[in-house]
Amino acid sequence: MGIRILLHIMVVVILSPLLLGITGKTKAFLVGRWGPPLLQPYYDIGKLFRKGNVYSTTTTWIFQAAPVVSMAAVLVSAIFVPFGSLKAPLPFFGDIILFAYLYGLARFFMIIAALDTGSSFEGMGASREAAFSCLAEVVLFLDFIILALLSKSLVLSEMVEGNILSSWQLFGPAILLAGVSYFLVLLAENARIPVDDPATHLELTMVHEVMVLDHSGWDLAYILYGSAIKLFVLGALFVNILVPFHGLPPVMQTIVFWAGMIVLAVGLGIVESCMARLRLNQVPQLLIGAFVFALVGLLVVLIKGV
Amino acid sequence: MSLFLSSLFILCLGAFLLVLLTRSRAMSGLIFLGTLIPGCLLGAAAALGVLIHRAPIDHRLNLRMPAGEFYLGVDPLSAFFLLTITILFLSAGVYGYGYLKSDKERNLSVHYALYHAALISLMLVVTAKNAVLFLVAWELMALSSYFLIMFHDEKKAVREAGYLYLIVTHTGTFCLWVMFLLMARQSGSMDFDQMALASFPLPLAGALFILGIIGFGVKAGFIPLHIWLPHAHPAAPSHISAVLSGVMIKMGVYGLMRTILIIKDFPEWCAVTLLLIGMISGVGGVLYALGQHEIKKLLAYHSVENIGIITLGLGTGLWGQICHNEFAALIGYAGAFLHVFNHAVFKGLLFLSAGSLIRSTRTGEIDRLGGLLKRLPWTGHLFLIGALAICGLPLFNGFVSEWLVYRALFEGMFHFELNGIALSSLAVISLALIGGLAAACFAKAFGAIFLGNSRSIDITHVTENSVLMCVPMAVLGGICVWIGLFPAVMVSFALGAAATMTSSPISSATEGVIIAPLLTAVLVLSILIGTIAILTLLKRTAMKFLPVEKAQTWGCGYAMPTSRMQYTAASFAQPLLQIFRNVLDYRVKGNRPKEYFPEEGEVSSRVTDAAEDFFFRPAFGFIKSLSAKLKVIQCGYTQWYLLYILIFLLMLLVWKMV
Repeated sequence: MGIRILLHIMVVVILSPLLLGITGKTKAFLVGRWGPPLLQPYYDIGKLFRKGNVYSTTTTWIFQAAPVVSMAAVLVSAIFVPFGSLKAPLPFFGDIILFAYLYGLARFFMIIAALDTGSSFEGMGASREAAFSCLAEVVLFLDFIILALLSKSLVLSEMVEGNILSSWQLFGPAILLAGVSYFLVLLAENARIPVDDPATHLELTMVHEVMVLDHSGWDLAYILYGSAIKLFVLGALFVNILVPFHGLPPVMQTIVFWAGMIVLAVGLGIVESCMARLRLNQVPQLLIGAFVFALVGLLVVLIKGV
Repeated sequence: MSLFLSSLFILCLGAFLLVLLTRSRAMSGLIFLGTLIPGCLLGAAAALGVLIHRAPIDHRLNLRMPAGEFYLGVDPLSAFFLLTITILFLSAGVYGYGYLKSDKERNLSVHYALYHAALISLMLVVTAKNAVLFLVAWELMALSSYFLIMFHDEKKAVREAGYLYLIVTHTGTFCLWVMFLLMARQSGSMDFDQMALASFPLPLAGALFILGIIGFGVKAGFIPLHIWLPHAHPAAPSHISAVLSGVMIKMGVYGLMRTILIIKDFPEWCAVTLLLIGMISGVGGVLYALGQHEIKKLLAYHSVENIGIITLGLGTGLWGQICHNEFAALIGYAGAFLHVFNHAVFKGLLFLSAGSLIRSTRTGEIDRLGGLLKRLPWTGHLFLIGALAICGLPLFNGFVSEWLVYRALFEGMFHFELNGIALSSLAVISLALIGGLAAACFAKAFGAIFLGNSRSIDITHVTENSVLMCVPMAVLGGICVWIGLFPAVMVSFALGAAATMTSSPISSATEGVIIAPLLTAVLVLSILIGTIAILTLLKRTAMKFLPVEKAQTWGCGYAMPTSRMQYTAASFAQPLLQIFRNVLDYRVKGNRPKEYFPEEGEVSSRVTDAAEDFFFRPAFGFIKSLSAKLKVIQCGYTQWYLLYILIFLLMLLVWKMV
């Protein structure tokens, strides 16, 4: 089991920045540029690993610990998610709660690290992050409820692979609605357009990026790596929900899953290319919209009967 | 003599000696600690014995009273609360000794004696086996805690908070008298055991349930009956706030549990009511907390939130019992029990560290503080542990009990009827929202108080308080981490207590089914700790070869940053409060800077308590005006009063004849 856990974590560590590379390439392609190479996110992180650190005199150990804790938490959350024929190595009844709360732990440390700098810009980012993630977490749990009701399970991997094919046949609209709302959560949690623009450089309007203004070197590398992993893990869950490939032979499962991941990365690039980011005060409305989608999904499940 | 009785005896002796020897300060402190520590340890040992063997112990003293026999009994339900009470009273008591030692003006032995009295009354409340004895202990608890709250009685706010508490708690006690009298009428006895044998028809059970909800809910702090909490907790000295919030309000939960255990059969709407109360108190409590800018008031509202979480567990337990799903009932009750204990520990820890903070800085206004982690390392880090625990984050005890409550709610979702599924789903969503909001609130509190720079007070001379204050906090913090990493023991105790509630012994297979996932979760958490260690090690090693510099925080090129430019707690909470402005009374006022060369500006925001301002204040006003009108009959002449007595007697005579 130890080897399977290690394998699972290695897959995430090695492949997660690639997803960002594909998204970046797609965005460049859509606006008619060549864009950075596919492996650019690796180069970026690698460059940071070679740099020294600058610490503000205001900060305490929390500032230095937060990147480590948050990267470790998202990395560990990966072991609950199946990647194609690579099954989740350590499932247990109720792991979805730990899954969601590991992100809570990561977020809490990033928020207090931002407050640790004493900068008002980072305070702003932290405050917005806290507000939006509250709403996102509620939507996430609502989606989990739908999946749990359909699969009668609280194990994340069973919820997304067990009988999801028959659920699609019986409760297609419900899963579709859950999928749409989950996609919006995915965008919000990973600071993608339209919630947040990872490329922006105006502190007053940023959310995630402004929280890490003062981080540098290894800390920043951990943060960037952590967000790549988060996108990978949440994205893998999305592919698992939307593509019911779990009845196929293992080889096909692997192919379909990874193809799904690539399509997701390209899809993210397309979404980001055709949308502008929302104004800050409209982000809650977007998340409430996601909430309504999921609620309607839940109603469909309840009315059709489980 | 049994452990429990000897514990009670030592504490009574201590209280008695403290009242006698009011002169010598050193002596009274010595007696206080000398009786508190063995008393609490013996009490905890008695509770542990019952929890391990899962067999109730009765203590009969042959005290025959008109209202049945007064006797005490420790069953797993009582024992669980007894353990909570003794652990928290012990830590808060030692802390209180350190806290008050420097207070040279007051007569402390009275305060110490009242502390003992409160402890004894709580121990009696959870072990009383007779309704009259229970109510007497209940009243003793209310009175002793009233005097404990009134410690700083020279302050007007404290006196007002004390009176409010006294009025509110007696309103609750009134409902409890009615409830117990009705129960006694049905069963023909005031003994709990006799009452439990009687059968209560469903409508009567519903009526008793409503009385219980009001009577015990006032103590527990269900919204909208919570209005005394945010006044009383900040008014009391911090070690008193810790026991008030940690265990005193849990007596409401205990009372409800005891009532459920006695009546057993309830109509379904009772469980619905409990779940609704849980959701409203949980979400409402944390939203109000988010809008507070005074640390102890913020913590007081968080007590309301946690009572909400406990009630969610309780509601699921009751629902499971009603529709004969014992498994769901068991997990629900176990979650409620464990959260009672956990909340006592982490909220005790938070109140004690808030007290230490206030003692060091002389203020609890969050927006004046900042950067204290460097000045108060013990207080700061222990507050952080408490904050992580109360947010239910993994690695700490709050996660374990919230996990159980989630699990129970999902269990309900899988097995209940349609309305049960719908309500459980709603409850899961509320619990998720509570978790997110609590994290935001404690990130705000911890960040604004302990991180960054001090906003408006000088903290260069702030130093850590005495060891006597730090050690109890460290013990509570240790318990938070212990349960977070090794949950099996406490979960098994909670299950034992839950089995008392469902009145059927729990098989070890069932217990395994509930505990096994938690053990796997612990395995995952150890992987998390390992990963953190590896990542830290990698970074540390690399840093040896790379340059590390110190600099100022990046201020976007602004040349003259001051610490007052930091984001405040009020502004941190603003986006969330803005989102929820329709359910809160959130007001922002002040004159914002205008034009190109602005004058001095200021902005302040506050969240007012809707239950207090829009319901209780008008209601109390109405009662006051009504009683003012009745004043005409109270004229002050003895003759008139004699006439009233005569009229009353005549009325009685007429009534008797008809």
